Amino acid sequence: MDLTDLIITVVKTAVIYIGMIQVVPLMLIVERRGAALIQDRPGPNRVGPFGLFQPIADVIKMMMKEVIIPSQVNKALYLLGPSLVLLPASLVIAALPFGDFFSVFNKPYLLQVANIDVGILYVLAIGSLGIYGILFGGWASNNKFSLMGAMRATSQIISYEIPLGLAACSAVLWYGSFSLREMVVTQEGTLWGVIPNWGVFCQPLGFLLFFIAAFAETNRLPFDLPETEAELVAGFHTEYGPMDFGTFFMAEYMNMATMSGLMVAMYFGGWHLPWIADATLLQWLGSRNILAILQVVTVVTKMAFFMVVYVWVRWTIPRFRFDQLMRLAWKNLIPLGLFNIVLTAVILYLKGAA
Amino acid sequence: MEAFLPVGILFILAIIISAGLFTVKRLLGPRNPVPAKLAVYECGVTPESSARIPFQTGFYLIAVLFLLFDVEAAFFFPWALVYKESLAEGPALLIAMLIYMALLVLGLVYIFRKDCLKLN
Repeated sequence: MDLTDLIITVVKTAVIYIGMIQVVPLMLIVERRGAALIQDRPGPNRVGPFGLFQPIADVIKMMMKEVIIPSQVNKALYLLGPSLVLLPASLVIAALPFGDFFSVFNKPYLLQVANIDVGILYVLAIGSLGIYGILFGGWASNNKFSLMGAMRATSQIISYEIPLGLAACSAVLWYGSFSLREMVVTQEGTLWGVIPNWGVFCQPLGFLLFFIAAFAETNRLPFDLPETEAELVAGFHTEYGPMDFGTFFMAEYMNMATMSGLMVAMYFGGWHLPWIADATLLQWLGSRNILAILQVVTVVTKMAFFMVVYVWVRWTIPRFRFDQLMRLAWKNLIPLGLFNIVLTAVILYLKGAA
Repeated sequence: MEAFLPVGILFILAIIISAGLFTVKRLLGPRNPVPAKLAVYECGVTPESSARIPFQTGFYLIAVLFLLFDVEAAFFFPWALVYKESLAEGPALLIAMLIYMALLVLGLVYIFRKDCLKLN
């Protein structure tokens, strides 16, 4: 790896990371306007044209507010909490493929931070580290609401990790690879010449499990039990000031974006357009780099769809009760996940035998 | 190892962003601490007792079960990776996995029968 490579890698990483951070202000406005749309009210529409500058105003407000470190907290862990949630949320985006590759000076560079060959395991492993931040923050706050919120968050996230892992496992079984890039490459073409060869058609049950578990992993409604405002004030971040809350919020939205990215890569064909092969597109467009831009647009559009679904579901489905949530994970999703693995294995065996 | 170099770069960037957020709020925000402001929040009421209270054993039980099941689920991953290539050699791997799966389901049924997941 020479200097040009290093510079391009650093710039690429920075662009992808900054791009993923932009999800936060974008989602802030989409979420609030989306909620308003569903609830039939105008929503924030005063700052800038159509209220588009609302996120900027929100961020400025958060930053200018007073920083309060309550007297009863365990200071080191309390201060560490938000950063410990944000760090894993930032790191998991490394495995997401945004496109095939682009070329600079006739040298190919992958449209991905790092082509990790154990991609999906990396995401599961790093993603679950975020619990530590929540647990540290909640416990160190020395507040009963925070403690309960943190306990709930932890047990919810670890419980839904298992269906998530099992769904990912059947995807690994189907594609025969851990690498998200490999999975996307395998999804090119069509199934029986009619429908796109996407994971969602080959692994419908796996996708459903992954989709449900993704909501629980990111603490979104209908599974936002850690922050039920009616029972726990604000859950694990009750004692945190505005910008710390902002950091938790940022981590939540980045996790949502990562989960959407994973669903796109594993089940919705990543950068592939349905029914059009990459080689054909390259012929039409004539240039690798234009194709790369098109691929990034495709992936981002698919991710944006899932982000809107998150908002849509949030304002449509009421919240679960905590024991219902646990029962859903252990009694329904885990047996279904195991069943899905057996089903996939048997189908693969029959396909191989035929 | 070189595949993980960009992850290192990303880690440094993430640290910079976290540290930046951490510093900016301290630089911009005013500071005017008074005891009432710094007190523990309990809906405006004077706090009754410390929050360092014992919590339900149900949560502990879930953590233990998670540990068991996640480790067991982790065993599926290497199997899933080699399964497709081993198809030519007959159903040996499929049967082995089915036996393992049966044991796992047995454990799951045991948990349900013992009502381990009852919170409250």
